[in-house]
Amino acid sequence: MPGSIDWNDNRWYQRAVFYEVSVRGFADSNGDGTGDLKGLTEKLDYIEWLGVDCLWLLPFYQSPLRDGGYDISDFFAVLPGYGDVKDAAQLIEEAHRRGIRVIADMVMNHTSDQHPWFQESRQSRDNPKADWYVWSDDDQRWSDARIIFVDTEPSNWTYEPAREQYYWHRFFHHQPDLNYRNPEVADAMLDVVRFWLDLGLDGYRLDAVPYLFERDGTNGENLDETHDYLKRIRRTVDTEFPGRVLLAEANQWPADVVEYFGDSDECHMCFHFPLMPRMFMAVRRSQRYPITEILAQTPDIPDGCQWGVFLRNHDELTLEMVTDEERDYMWAEYATDPLMRRNIGISRRLFPLLDNDRRIAELFHALLCSMPGSPVLYYGDEIGMGDNLYLGDRDGVRTPMQWTPDRNAGFSKADFAQLYLPPLMDPVYGYQAVNVEGETRNPSSFLHWLRRLLEIRREHPTLGIGTFEVLSAENPSVLAYLRRLEMEDGHESIVLCIYNVSRFAQPVELMMADLAGKVPVEMIGRVPFPPIGELPYFVTLPPYGFYWFTLHDEG
Amino acid sequence: MISPDGIVSLLPDFLPRQRWYGAADRVLSSVSVNSFEVLREEWPMLAWLLADAEFEDGSTATFQLPVGLRPLEQTERFLEGKGRSFLGDVDTDDGPALLYDALVDPELALALVRHIAPDEDVTLVRPLNVEQSNTSVVYDERLIMKLFRRVAEGPNPDVEMTEALAAEGFEHISAPVAAWRQDGRDLAVVRQFLDGGTVGWALALTSLRDVYDSRIDPAEAGGNFGPEAGRLGTITAEMHLALARSLGTEPGDPDAWATTMRTNLSRSRARALDASAIAAAYEALRGIEDPGRAMRIHGDYHLGQTMRTNEGWYILDFEGEPALPLDERRALSSPLRDVAGMLRSFHYAAEVALVERGPSANDDELRSLGRRWEQHVSEAFIEGYCATEGIDALVPGDDDDRRRVLDAFTLSKAVYEVGYELAHRPDWAHIPLEAVHRLIASPR
Repeated sequence: MPGSIDWNDNRWYQRAVFYEVSVRGFADSNGDGTGDLKGLTEKLDYIEWLGVDCLWLLPFYQSPLRDGGYDISDFFAVLPGYGDVKDAAQLIEEAHRRGIRVIADMVMNHTSDQHPWFQESRQSRDNPKADWYVWSDDDQRWSDARIIFVDTEPSNWTYEPAREQYYWHRFFHHQPDLNYRNPEVADAMLDVVRFWLDLGLDGYRLDAVPYLFERDGTNGENLDETHDYLKRIRRTVDTEFPGRVLLAEANQWPADVVEYFGDSDECHMCFHFPLMPRMFMAVRRSQRYPITEILAQTPDIPDGCQWGVFLRNHDELTLEMVTDEERDYMWAEYATDPLMRRNIGISRRLFPLLDNDRRIAELFHALLCSMPGSPVLYYGDEIGMGDNLYLGDRDGVRTPMQWTPDRNAGFSKADFAQLYLPPLMDPVYGYQAVNVEGETRNPSSFLHWLRRLLEIRREHPTLGIGTFEVLSAENPSVLAYLRRLEMEDGHESIVLCIYNVSRFAQPVELMMADLAGKVPVEMIGRVPFPPIGELPYFVTLPPYGFYWFTLHDEG
Repeated sequence: MISPDGIVSLLPDFLPRQRWYGAADRVLSSVSVNSFEVLREEWPMLAWLLADAEFEDGSTATFQLPVGLRPLEQTERFLEGKGRSFLGDVDTDDGPALLYDALVDPELALALVRHIAPDEDVTLVRPLNVEQSNTSVVYDERLIMKLFRRVAEGPNPDVEMTEALAAEGFEHISAPVAAWRQDGRDLAVVRQFLDGGTVGWALALTSLRDVYDSRIDPAEAGGNFGPEAGRLGTITAEMHLALARSLGTEPGDPDAWATTMRTNLSRSRARALDASAIAAAYEALRGIEDPGRAMRIHGDYHLGQTMRTNEGWYILDFEGEPALPLDERRALSSPLRDVAGMLRSFHYAAEVALVERGPSANDDELRSLGRRWEQHVSEAFIEGYCATEGIDALVPGDDDDRRRVLDAFTLSKAVYEVGYELAHRPDWAHIPLEAVHRLIASPR
């Protein structure tokens, strides 16, 4: 895959490794203190070396940046500090040349209040854009819709004196919701989708999709109208841009999220949100059930679809989604656990959450790369970067990428004071201790280890698209599963993964009599293990240890 | 063909070697075969028999034994290291044969399950560890056959109770698929196998190992078992509610409970116990106006009878206390007796995990962490139990009375444990003794 793109492969996303990157925080090419598209383009060799198949760019559009760029004021322009549309085209072209695809965030639900559409709409009740947003004479309509940002927003309605009306916003008051019941809006947003795909973009991560439409008597989430519109986008993509991908962000329970796959006619991918916190809980409780429970509750997905799985990203799971009875588990375990309570809803990077324990980091990445779904890495986690909680909620995990131990972490030649955020400088996670240059030179670094893991994953499509089957094990600290895939030549590829989620060494006996005669070969070192027999297969694992095996016929 | 005549002479040697014999404290005087049937006539042969044993003290027992036969010259891998399962050599019409416990033979274990549940199509066999009163075999990791080794007149409580619970829609059991009965006696039952589960005991030890190693308060530690125990309490209450609906209840009789407890106390050989203080605690039961209901209960409830799965807790093995005669196992009692059983199990878990640590088991800090774990987990269990809707109808409405009944059953269980440990595992007697002292030192 790296080095060349198979343009006939319309299901590439089912086996791809994604890498989420903030343009602002990756590399600054012009020394103004802020990362830019050119800087990112210059670092593509590194991303190719790491073995990433697809970049996911956080919003890089024109924006007043009151919500990290998720408040877009011009869908067709690049934020000037990041470059221009030509730079974006160049980034995509250079990435493609290295076998890397590029997708980007797109915010469908709302715009910035600075967007010309809204500026016009708010003027009067009868201008041409008057119905492009959702207006109401009173602020009591749709009171069943929850307020998502309860800490800052008292209501989903905000008063506009010029119209003597209220406008609807599911997020911040400076992010008015677009009115998708207006066909002009639906068409205009489809043109936005077309614009960047025309430029070569390989797809979108669609932000906050459950809220596009509102309807009386509902909570305004997951409405049929919303699904219908997403299907319309999908039809447009399939007809005009085959092979491009739609990745939905719907922070809902898996059973509800699968609706966004439609019947293979809506989004290609959706994020699996509850998996990540449950991996943390499994390690904390030294038992696999937090993970296996949620996987047991995860429905099968239609053919051609895929989950996006991640350890960390810029959004966090919040407890607001876990209120029903079937979710009691989350309440009982999370709301009472001091560590989880402290970290929920707070952006932390992976390594600080793991107390910088490399064993768990390896365990988690092995899990991430072998569970059903395509792994999404977050920039900086591959070198074990830390966070700066004092920068406030989301900025704490968006500090500059640490390239070298030199000035400004090698991120920018600007004056330190000019940087958009200070790089980390603490003795444990600071750029003098943690940086790409140092980890590239050190063959036993986490970076090299992860690169090797991604290489192995790429060699085994079974890990991307194989079936998934948890094996019975009496030891609660051990999670073992099989991935199976029928290959084109007719033989079945089987991968066996075994994990110890406890900090003590553990034995396990696995019931695999139906696989008797197969020889497990460890995938990293290619060391053959004793063949599987009629009796339970006995394996011992070191603390937080794991094994990946391919199963071969004896002889 | 084979006949029982060649087999019966081998039984006096074979039976006492079995874990399910359960009569090590008695002297066997005679064995006879009261039922015999050949279930499969070609090699390997399968025969089934019931053996009546008489003991010198006049007591009797009936053992169930499926036996397999293979030609003597054959050596089978599955028999290696299974000396305990051999009965010996016998002559058959087809030549000399080795006679053995059929359940260790995968081919015969399949033949037997096909006999009991002919509708089920299974191919893979995995024998489980032998238990005190039964032997279990897993098929295809999907079904489990439990063969009762000591057969009694009347329904086997395990079959009876799980059928009653299944009829009430209580899903947290291994649901029965087929039962094998003869002349009103339950011989074996085939159920769904709980795939991917962990026995509660193992899960509790996982939590305790984390607590003892990290030395963090059990409610704050990574291995906090409180939420699990709370959910187990809820399932336990739901089990009682389903049993009450299905098999009915009667008004609880605290006088009778106290009398039974006192009888058991006087039978106890434990001189280490302060009998008068214990008896006084039992007497506190009398005079309770609302003691809750008396009903069929699990009867031998502890962590080893529970299993954590992806669908939450399951409850296993409703045979009751294996040492008791059948009519006592089926007797009605307070549902709080099961709660008491689980509280005792929490105490044992904390102690066993402490002993695992060897010399540091004497560490005062660890001892108090273990005590704290037991308290924390017990509270969570009781809270989960008592918060379950409808349970108030089965247990005393008054909090103090509820506590008094629970304490009396917990004490009674601990007294029983003291006797058992002194007879079988004297090194362990300190565990229930400590519990007894705690319960009589701080009457509520």
